[in-house]
Amino acid sequence: MLTTTGGIAVEGVRRSFGSVRAVTNISFEARPGTVTALVGPNGSGKTTLLLMLATLLAPDEGSIRINGHDPVVDPLAVRAIMGWMPDALGSWASLTVRTTLQLTARMYGRDVAQAAARADELIDLVELWELADRPTRVLSRGQKQKLSLARALVHDPSVLLLDEPASGLDPAARIELRILVRRLAAEGRTILVSSHVLAELDELADTAIYVERGASISAERVARATSSARPWRIRALEPTSIVPALIAAGIPADAIGADGSGILVSVDTEQRAAGLLGVLVSAGVEVTSFSPATGDLEHTFLDLQSRHDGRVDGSGR
Amino acid sequence: MSFFSGLKVIVGLELRQRVRGVAWYVLLGIFVLLVAIVTLLVGVVARSSYMGNSETGGWLYSLIIYFVLLLGTLIAPALSGNAVNGERDSGTLATMQVTLVSSAQIVLGKFVASWIATLAFLVASIPFLLISSAFGGLAPITVLLSVLALALELGVIAAIGVGLSAILARPLFSIVVSYLAVAALSLGTLIAFGLGGIAVQSEVRATTISPVYSSSDGSYNESNTFTCGSPTTSTYSTPRFDLFWPILSANPYVVLADITPGQFDSHGNPQDLFTAIGSGVRAAQITPDLSPDYDYCSENGYSMSKTSEEIYASTVPSWFVGLALHLLLAAGALTWGIARTKTPARKLASGSRVA
Repeated sequence: MLTTTGGIAVEGVRRSFGSVRAVTNISFEARPGTVTALVGPNGSGKTTLLLMLATLLAPDEGSIRINGHDPVVDPLAVRAIMGWMPDALGSWASLTVRTTLQLTARMYGRDVAQAAARADELIDLVELWELADRPTRVLSRGQKQKLSLARALVHDPSVLLLDEPASGLDPAARIELRILVRRLAAEGRTILVSSHVLAELDELADTAIYVERGASISAERVARATSSARPWRIRALEPTSIVPALIAAGIPADAIGADGSGILVSVDTEQRAAGLLGVLVSAGVEVTSFSPATGDLEHTFLDLQSRHDGRVDGSGR
Repeated sequence: MSFFSGLKVIVGLELRQRVRGVAWYVLLGIFVLLVAIVTLLVGVVARSSYMGNSETGGWLYSLIIYFVLLLGTLIAPALSGNAVNGERDSGTLATMQVTLVSSAQIVLGKFVASWIATLAFLVASIPFLLISSAFGGLAPITVLLSVLALALELGVIAAIGVGLSAILARPLFSIVVSYLAVAALSLGTLIAFGLGGIAVQSEVRATTISPVYSSSDGSYNESNTFTCGSPTTSTYSTPRFDLFWPILSANPYVVLADITPGQFDSHGNPQDLFTAIGSGVRAAQITPDLSPDYDYCSENGYSMSKTSEEIYASTVPSWFVGLALHLLLAAGALTWGIARTKTPARKLASGSRVA
């Protein structure tokens, strides 16, 4: 069922809505068997890009290939192999979870028996047993997310587009989602995930595409941002012992901060961080935790933002 | 996946949602109640001494059919006018569009489901139609053609509603425009016909010859002798409804009246509402005589006014013009709606969203 070659290839895609330029220039590739994160602030064009990949919107310019098929020229070929989980939680309010999945399977050309069997499998997969025969309007936001994911998987697609899949999920469900998505990728599927929860994408994604104001950010700029200084969080049995030891180690006082759970120090490379840890331990500080305060994606994201806007807390526009 | 299997899934989806909704059952219940009241009232009138023993089944039957058309055209836009954009608003349209069903299957499936839901009103009126047949005087051809035409007209309204719901972004707006379309066909044609006829008037030059009685004081005389007076002319204007009658053929009620063959009694009077309305509408085809001669002096001056049957026989039917226009409107609305639902979308209506 799954193809070994393919994945998503996007080249110079542009899309405007009237005078609003939603996507100006996005290029990237997503390979089979990997999870690719789509990272960017609100309004940066992530959802518009996913709608174009999902064969719902035609790009004004540029080319899209999904497993080699062009969604504009041959949308049916793309739809047959592509599963899309929208960010909007639309469901037929009066229909049950089971009926929703069965009807979706039928819309993919499965017969009644196949559709019924597939619906049962998916209810099992996303653990909606108790709610299987309840109308979808009683579902909570997180339960609707599960239904939406199940619906995207109905036809066993080899390419998965997940728009904010974790929003509304409780921590346990997030971990389950992560395990499921990793498993789906391990089966050879191409998975593209957009999310605002960057810490979560860190553990989920193999690679990331950063978009800003409708354009993908070049690999060099991403590399620069990735290698820039980042805060590390240090905790010790005796918290007050940390700062004097840091100053003694030659760290300037303005590079030292604090948050609710520890002391924050700005360090530019991992080598220096390792060296600093050695200095602290040998200075007699009983270190219990020494780790980056931000995830890799979050760090890169915030750095790209600050370089663009000249501020760290920029929200894109 | 074949076209029809995809269509069937969409129809099934639509009907399942409707069957689980309360609104549709409430409407159906109110409808049955109203038809029952109408049947009862007409039944009471029919049994009264005034109507004697005449056969009133045709009247009752045609009244119920018109009632189904009236309520159907009032309900169908509400059932179909938000079929597509309502689903877009709730975020479920896009989840269908990414599957293997085409936009044609989605729009046509919704149309078929709306049509079926509206036809349920016709089905619910079957017991009353059977009662009306018990009153006698009902022609089988009238039953066949009127039910067929009614079903088609309800389908046309459903198609216009579903088509508009795909063309226009906002559900409320498309429902209102659907109602305006129904009003334009049902009432607008009547208003246009009436105003047009009154606006264009022709001058009539009537020549009248009256008898002049010999008695000098003008009183009636036993000898009954009179001479014919000299002709007098008078002019007045008359509305030219005959120029505007084709407008009426676009009225669904007229289509229904005109498609059924006229049913007359031995005196040439209509035997059902279809025939009554049909001959009334057809009378508008007759060009008024712009220079009539009224010779009250001779026997032939007193011409008998024509019976409905004679009017019917001397004019042409127009139902196929109206029906063709309606089917064209329906097909146009659906075609345009399908084009607006096509994905990948190049243009979006302002204010609309994809998902």
